[in-house]
Amino acid sequence: MSEKKYTGIGFRKDFAEELIDSEVLKPSFIELAPENWIGMGGYWKKQLDKAAEKYPVTCHGLSLSIGSPDALDVPFVKQVKKFLDQYKVKVYSEHLSYSKCDNAHLYDLLPIPFRMDAVKHIVARIKQVQDILEQPLVLENVSYYTPVAAEMTEHEFISAIVNESGCNMLLDVNNVYVNAFNHKYDAKNFLSKLPLNKVAYIHMAGHEQVSDTLIIDTHGQAVIDPVFELFEHAIGLVKPVPVLLERDFNIPELEELQGELSRMDSIISKIWKTEHAAA
Amino acid sequence: MPQLKKETHTQQSILADYCRNGIFPEGLLDINKDNLHNYRRLCYNIAVDVIETAYPIAFSFLPEETWNKLLSEFYSEHKCQTPQVWRMPLEFYDYCLQKNICEILNFPFLNDLLYFEWLELDVHTMEDIQYPKTKAEGDWLNDKIALNPEHKLIRLSYPVHTTAPTEGLLEKKGDYFLLIYREKDTGNVQFVDLSMFYTYILENLMNGVLLKDILVEANSIFQINDIKLLKDRSLEFIEDLKRRNFVIGFTA
Ligand SMILES: [Fe+2]
Repeated sequence: MSEKKYTGIGFRKDFAEELIDSEVLKPSFIELAPENWIGMGGYWKKQLDKAAEKYPVTCHGLSLSIGSPDALDVPFVKQVKKFLDQYKVKVYSEHLSYSKCDNAHLYDLLPIPFRMDAVKHIVARIKQVQDILEQPLVLENVSYYTPVAAEMTEHEFISAIVNESGCNMLLDVNNVYVNAFNHKYDAKNFLSKLPLNKVAYIHMAGHEQVSDTLIIDTHGQAVIDPVFELFEHAIGLVKPVPVLLERDFNIPELEELQGELSRMDSIISKIWKTEHAAA
Repeated sequence: MPQLKKETHTQQSILADYCRNGIFPEGLLDINKDNLHNYRRLCYNIAVDVIETAYPIAFSFLPEETWNKLLSEFYSEHKCQTPQVWRMPLEFYDYCLQKNICEILNFPFLNDLLYFEWLELDVHTMEDIQYPKTKAEGDWLNDKIALNPEHKLIRLSYPVHTTAPTEGLLEKKGDYFLLIYREKDTGNVQFVDLSMFYTYILENLMNGVLLKDILVEANSIFQINDIKLLKDRSLEFIEDLKRRNFVIGFTA
């Protein structure tokens, strides 16, 4: 029997056709943003349906804006729910950030003030979302380039939200690395303070160092060695969950992407098999 | 009782406003001032990229400075409503209409150009529409003609679909009719230039009127007084649309 595979890849239009028939790239699942596909017909709907027939689908949203001061966009969440049902999606993750404010979408992820009132506000919104979706929301630690009006640390903020809302966590290993670099803290120490028992999904990605003191989370480069090392450390601390390689720009040959998946697979088989044997 | 304190909300608003208008803000607490500009850059680049991809002709035609100013004003003044960023260019088109940008910039054909470019994208991506049940056998005049339902029929004042905006477009102001449809198998978007007469026929066919009844009406409206010519032209038109896979048979 072949070993269980945990690694998947983001489904991008840039390589959608190639992926569907690929003998090279063999993810065990694909991830897509529901916003990019809801209500779409024609050629791309056909490609999506073909891909969804071949691979299990997970969803990673862009516009929920869970940290927004605005009221929750209930009709939008209901559209997402319909989409998740249609494609039998078991994991729906989103970002612990905000991308809409005062009734305007910004289409990128802004850092939420690490504050207790924001925690309470977001916890209430998470519950509202989970009630509509009838499944747990999985929230990702995002990279950020400056804190704003923080009154607690990042890990306190994330932990409070996860613990008080009952949501699950998407652990983005690259984001931990990026934030540790940008905000000068120790990545492993940071990891040890997260509610790792709630991790339901993992992201891996590349980034771009733009100066001596700043890394931008671009998803446009290969994953670097230190992030693989942090990954090896991190997965030793969590139960086996799906692991996704994010590559949104600067897409290389599929061989190269498969190379990254295989490298993650081999780390996983080393760590999670022993974990299982010990369990 | 709202849980979010006013001050926290204000902090979030200041950052979001900065991302939209690019004016470096006062009043953000405990930030890294050197890094803040990245948020404006990242947000704005996404918006610009989506709009420039949706409107390549308008983008390459308008002077760079004019275009950049328009985009910058749009992103700062307009509150984008759709959670689906690929649909946001429609809001840009609506903004240009409402602000009467074509008159302000003195490019009278700009509205048509944006509309045409948006529709190309819209027809390509619009939700699938159920095809009618059809049969192959029938009579063009006396049976209901079945059409590809994935289409739009539009009227333009400038022929932006045939003429580049660089030359002569202004002098060609008039009435232009255009059929835009999506091929079933390939998903490709096709365009058919129509005369007012063919548009009249097509509009009626779309409403399920029989061709023979359309021709009776058309005869009095267009005062052609040559029913045979009218009929022959119409049948040629239908045959042409059949070859283009827009006419798909007869309604079953
Ligand atoms: Fe991520």
